[in-house]
Amino acid sequence: MAEHAWILAAVPAIAFLALAALGRRLPRQGDFLAVLAAASGFGLFFAVLASFLGRGEGAWPVLNAIEWTAIGDFRLNMGIAVDQITIVMLAVVTTVAFMVNVFSVGYMKGEPRYWWYFAVLQLFVASMLLLVLADNLLLLYVAWELVGLSSFLLIGHYWERRSAVEAAKKAFITTRVGDVGLLIGIILLWKATGTFNILDIIHAVEAGEVGGTGLFVSVMFIFLGAMGKSAQLPFHVWLPDAMEGPTPVSALIHAATMVVAGVYLVARLLPVFEAAGDALLVVTAVGLITALFSGVVAFAQTDIKKVLAYSTVSQLGFMFVALGAGVVSAGMFHLFTHAFFKALLFLGAGSVILGAHHRQEVGQLGGLWRRMPVTAAAFLVGSLALAGLFPLAGFWSKDEILHAVEGHRGALVFALISLASIMTAFYTTRLFILTFLGKPRDAEAGHARETGASMTGPLVFLAVLSVFAGFVVYGGVGEALGFPGGFGEFVYLHHPETFHIDWGLAGVSTALFVIGVFGAGWLYRGGRLDRAAALTAWQPKLYEMTRRKFYFDDLYQFLIDRVVLGFSYVVSWFDRFAVNDTGVDGSATLTGYAGFLLKHLQTGRVPNYALAIAAGVAALILVALAAGG
Amino acid sequence: MVPLENYLVLSAILFALGVYGVLSRRNAVLVLMSVELMLNAVSLNFVAFAAHLDPDRATGIVFAVFVIAVAAAEVGLALAIVIRLFRNRSSANVDEAATLRW
Amino acid sequence: MITEVLWWIVAAGVVGASAGVVLSRSVVHAAIFLILSLAGVGAIYLFLTVEFIALVQFLIYGGAVTVLILLALMLTRMGASGRPEPLTGAQAPFGALVAAALMATLIGVAVATAWPGDLGGSPTAISIERIGAALFQNYGAPFIIMAALLLVAFVGAIVIARQEDGD
Repeated sequence: MAEHAWILAAVPAIAFLALAALGRRLPRQGDFLAVLAAASGFGLFFAVLASFLGRGEGAWPVLNAIEWTAIGDFRLNMGIAVDQITIVMLAVVTTVAFMVNVFSVGYMKGEPRYWWYFAVLQLFVASMLLLVLADNLLLLYVAWELVGLSSFLLIGHYWERRSAVEAAKKAFITTRVGDVGLLIGIILLWKATGTFNILDIIHAVEAGEVGGTGLFVSVMFIFLGAMGKSAQLPFHVWLPDAMEGPTPVSALIHAATMVVAGVYLVARLLPVFEAAGDALLVVTAVGLITALFSGVVAFAQTDIKKVLAYSTVSQLGFMFVALGAGVVSAGMFHLFTHAFFKALLFLGAGSVILGAHHRQEVGQLGGLWRRMPVTAAAFLVGSLALAGLFPLAGFWSKDEILHAVEGHRGALVFALISLASIMTAFYTTRLFILTFLGKPRDAEAGHARETGASMTGPLVFLAVLSVFAGFVVYGGVGEALGFPGGFGEFVYLHHPETFHIDWGLAGVSTALFVIGVFGAGWLYRGGRLDRAAALTAWQPKLYEMTRRKFYFDDLYQFLIDRVVLGFSYVVSWFDRFAVNDTGVDGSATLTGYAGFLLKHLQTGRVPNYALAIAAGVAALILVALAAGG
Repeated sequence: MVPLENYLVLSAILFALGVYGVLSRRNAVLVLMSVELMLNAVSLNFVAFAAHLDPDRATGIVFAVFVIAVAAAEVGLALAIVIRLFRNRSSANVDEAATLRW
Repeated sequence: MITEVLWWIVAAGVVGASAGVVLSRSVVHAAIFLILSLAGVGAIYLFLTVEFIALVQFLIYGGAVTVLILLALMLTRMGASGRPEPLTGAQAPFGALVAAALMATLIGVAVATAWPGDLGGSPTAISIERIGAALFQNYGAPFIIMAALLLVAFVGAIVIARQEDGD
């Protein structure tokens, strides 16, 4: 079954085609098809998993490829590769996709283009699964662009709203900058190794066939693609704006799956990164800066989804820090747990938004604890998991990251990542308090109602996962589930690592959690805003700077207005006057004038033309005879 | 004993007369008659070749049959067009149909 | 011997009649010359011992086609008022030049080429059975297409020539 894992991607692809073609005419606009496809994907994943585990330990990745084309000596194979990293990604994607599809049935009810929403959702799932299954960089790139396309379509789902259109465009163009880098990187790697196949490239690099500055440059280009997709500084600007899309989409694409494609790519190519000089140092630096930066920005955001968006950016930074430390298991583990609790938080936010009649500014919410108990409880579990409470999922993965950083990157990075950890706990607590505690600050929030079963169901399921998913780090739990051991013994780069809890580290981690939570708890005690308002009044400029996201958007706007548009103006002038007026219109005018002159040769009388044709035939025969002898 | 060349020369003369007629005649019906002369020259060539060079397969004969059939179709259509032209312009002279010009 | 003399006489008749078609000053005379010319070509086919084609020539060309042409002449005659117009256009000399050039090249090619498989002898008789076999076996599909073409052409001719309202 594992060698036929492509079926996982084929099922949603077929569902996409069926929904896109027939969705409008089907009963219920075909949403049952989408749920069915997602559920069967979830079920099929376990078949793949069982088959993969059944091959025993230390086995090679499962490969299955067909020859796509042969150009001279170069053979291009397209196929799938299933290894441990892929299995983790498949678990995340199929689970969250299933939950989000179910959630969407309730959330999107009565929304415009209901069928099209589900169709594109299936397209996304298919592309994402293709992305993680691809055995070569070319196929990966195709899927990479396909997920970008689905993300674009879903962010712009409400295209009647101008802001949604702008956000979709921004996401598409910003990630495209990184994607160009990825393409260049892929081409450079192909030029160096002569293959697109990921395993072959890794083997070539490990054998020392390529290296030096060339490898470093190509790896940096590839990392550019990863930064764009995973919204790392300075490409982070698209992700918060992408919250214009429907909230379940934010949960699936902009929290759990697509944005971690960059992390997946780096994890996949980690041996190549290791061999490429200081590439991993760059990965750590970018991740660290992003984690700190977006942690700070998240303090001052008032939109519930934007807080979560910056939190996502920050957590992606954590993953890159772990990968930068060269510990693939820590990065992938955080990806794994984060997918569940962040999807939970986003779906919870969606439930809040729906229940509170489309109020999503924290200044308007508050006191929802009583009115939406299930959502609030699930959101609380997600928040605590994100903040890193022992023994929820987030604690274990964050612990792994701290462990990795301590072991491989030294004290400074450890201190900074701890700071980012405190921020995580702080803004998470702030968000929870402002949304659910205190008194409603808006009439609509006061009339909020708990949402239906199709939404609370996935919330509960994800909440359970957020509590227990972290335990797979233990060897015993892993073995009980049929894995060769804990997470570190399943996903590893060079040697499997058995997990032993480091009580000192766990203490530090818990201390960070406590500092963050109690800091926020004191500041926003009782769900009141006056203390925070006093704090912002004390340092208005700093607050303004944070609220405006350190002027990144303004800087980009300035650059686009002045540099890009200025250059475009020159190009447009050249096009209009030099190319169009002189070249295109000029040649047309010349042709017209020549025709005006030559038309006097015409008589319009048929016999004249016949004579000319006959004379031409005679002349041609004579020429042919003269030439042919 | 009439050699092949005799037929070919006769055909060439017929063809050239037809070309001259097409180019010089003004009346559309006369132009058509000249076209018939040219087609006959072609048929004659086919049959002469078939009889002299390829008697086993008789391909030239079949072609001659086809030429005659096409000629019949062509005459029918062309005369219909001529009649139409005459009705529209009260003249069947081809050099008076000068609207091909700008 | 007698065959050759007869051939030359018929050939001269064909050339003469054809010249009459393209040179005659009267359209009716031209049509009569055309009948003569077509019949002469039919006679030439008899020398080539393909009686079938000769028969087709007499029937279709000598009969049907000429009748059509005569009908068209009748339908397109100018009213009696106008004086007879010249039948030959102004570009006739150039037409003659081109035609002469074509004839010269064609005759040159015909005489100078060594035709493959030509035994120089008299033509081999092609039996009507052989022609039938060739037409209906080797060239069955083109034959059917030809039949369809004829049908379409005649329907088209009717549509084009039909008297419409307001004409």
